[in-house]
Amino acid sequence: MGDLTKIPQWVFEIGGYRLTLNSETLIMSWIVMGILILFAVVATRRISILPGPYQTIAELMVDAFQGLVHDALDEGNRHYFPLIITLFLFLWLSNMLGVIPFLSEPTKDLNTPLAYGILGFFIAHYAGIKTKGFKAYASEYFQPMFFMAPLNIIGELSKVVSISFRLFGNIMGGSIIILVVSHLVYNLVLPPLLNAFFGLFVGTIQAFVFTMLTLVYISVQTK
Amino acid sequence: MAAEIAGTDLVRAAALLGAGIAMGLGAIGPGVGEGFAAGKACEAIGKNPKEAGLLTRTMLVGQAVSESTGIYSLVVALLLIFVV
Amino acid sequence: MEYPDTTWVQAAAYLGAAFSVGFGAIGAALGEGYAAGIAAQSIGKNPGESGNILKNMLIGQAVAESAGIFALVVSMLLAFVVPAEAPLISAYCYLGAGLAMGLGAIGSGMGSGFPAAEACRGIADNPPTSGMLTTNMLIGSAICQTPSIFGMVVAFMLMFIDFGQQPLWPGWAAMLGAGCAVGFGAIGSGVGSGIPAGTSTAGIARQPAAVGSIRTNMLIGSAVSQTPSIFGMVVAFMLIFLDWSHVPAWPTWAGLLGAGLSTGLAAIGPGIGNGFTAGEAAAGIARVPDSSGPVTTTMLIAQGVAQSTVIYGFLVSLIMIFMPPTEYDASMTAWATLLSAGLCMGFGGIGPGIGEGMAGAYAVRRIARDMEVNVLITRVMLVGQAVSESTGIYSLIVSLLLLFVV
Repeated sequence: MGDLTKIPQWVFEIGGYRLTLNSETLIMSWIVMGILILFAVVATRRISILPGPYQTIAELMVDAFQGLVHDALDEGNRHYFPLIITLFLFLWLSNMLGVIPFLSEPTKDLNTPLAYGILGFFIAHYAGIKTKGFKAYASEYFQPMFFMAPLNIIGELSKVVSISFRLFGNIMGGSIIILVVSHLVYNLVLPPLLNAFFGLFVGTIQAFVFTMLTLVYISVQTK
Repeated sequence: MAAEIAGTDLVRAAALLGAGIAMGLGAIGPGVGEGFAAGKACEAIGKNPKEAGLLTRTMLVGQAVSESTGIYSLVVALLLIFVV
Repeated sequence: MEYPDTTWVQAAAYLGAAFSVGFGAIGAALGEGYAAGIAAQSIGKNPGESGNILKNMLIGQAVAESAGIFALVVSMLLAFVVPAEAPLISAYCYLGAGLAMGLGAIGSGMGSGFPAAEACRGIADNPPTSGMLTTNMLIGSAICQTPSIFGMVVAFMLMFIDFGQQPLWPGWAAMLGAGCAVGFGAIGSGVGSGIPAGTSTAGIARQPAAVGSIRTNMLIGSAVSQTPSIFGMVVAFMLIFLDWSHVPAWPTWAGLLGAGLSTGLAAIGPGIGNGFTAGEAAAGIARVPDSSGPVTTTMLIAQGVAQSTVIYGFLVSLIMIFMPPTEYDASMTAWATLLSAGLCMGFGGIGPGIGEGMAGAYAVRRIARDMEVNVLITRVMLVGQAVSESTGIYSLIVSLLLLFVV
């Protein structure tokens, strides 16, 4: 259990700068991307009125998220729908990857949730500026009183922290708990149950919460 | 293990501990109160969606006033850290 | 006061036993008393069902008792079984174990009282549903016991794993901090999981046909309410298992103790707040079963946002664990800064967690009745929650100032 803090990395030099990449996270992310692309290709290969199984699943998901995005965003911003559903599918699959032996969740590394949190932050604010114009956007920071501006700005930044660390804490915390408890009970009985709870149940809910919060942040900025 | 604890060191340490306790405990009340206000506002908007703007504004004003003691705590905490 | 190490270790074991059973007795008694009171009230309302109600009350009380029994077991182990011939750091391990189990049992005991009470009330109001009510009560109470199980797991680790390789300074603070992190962290989630168990049981009594959607919502809401205590347990594991031999003893001890307090205390508010939201969501679905879609969505959003302050506490804990001071500094200022940062974020997480949870609760209750306005209500709820979070953010700022600027 001493390897709680060991991280497999690739280190290389480019133009005098030392770049460090977390190899395990990268490879697992590529696996998730591969699975999603494969699913998309298979689901849309022969689109027909009587759908095959993959197309049905794809249609269910598209329908569900279409409803959510339609409710939350106005006409001009509904083009963020592919972003939202891709975000959910990527995070959902990433959170569940740990259940498969020899694979681990890319969201276990802080870099992944933080990247998506920052992405969501920039998209929300870009959408806000584009929809409302810069003046209206900037004046919102001075509501309801003039000197609240720095606190409002910090509030916006803290949204990134909270959304990213929530996903990171839940997934990394789950994997640490599974590791420690499996070590304690000598891998008898409990680990599959814990894996099912943390990987499948918590993973699904946290992916959904992350996606919905991103959607809601975009929606709040654009209205 | 113990260092030479001069008077000023102890006083500074007490000020820093006090800053943390001041902000920490001071955040409890406004958090609960403003949340209650937000909840009741949501309920009222559900009952009367047309008045959403007025209700939201009332909620924000009420929350801003409830914030005052939280801001007092923040000011005292910052004073204890930087000024005393 | 020169005593051999075994004296201190034995004394600490007895103190730990006292904490464990002393704190642990609080929650279970409160929960069982509440259940008994409501049971008596229900029998008064419907004396014909008294046999059924009494049986249900006893079953519910037995489940609420389990947290107290875990605490008793840990207490007995600490008083009679754990070896006194252990390295001095074990003294703090035993103290930490007592805190972990004792504090951890408070919330679960209290929380399990709600479903028991509501089941008794429901049997009096709607006797044919008593089977379903008892089942739901058992499921809900079982989920509610999870935080006390977290406390027990950490207590067992602290009692029986040999920590001889950890240095005494700052290892002692890591062990105490771990006990605080999981112990305090379990209070909020214990109570918070009991509230939806209670309201869902009441809802099933009122609307037995909707038992499927009510129970699903309760399971989701209760599970999300467990998250703050999971953060507490993760911080406890990190404090126990990381190697502290390469950090300076003083002032790192304050950082480790502060890390435990930061997440532990900050988890109280969001745990309770999430419970309020999940409770009203289950009640709302019981009233209007068709609303389960929007209600569950908004409940999850509200719970997610309400957990922000425990996440800030977790962030401060991570900073103090993974960026410890690099040089030995025995001045009082050094340790006061670290401990103060932990206390600041810890206490600061309580209020906004409860408040944002209440905002979510009222919002979700209204959405159940008026599904068409759910987008508007959700937006106002988020604005209100964001303002409510301000004092939590102030605490985070002061903590970060104390850590990085002072």
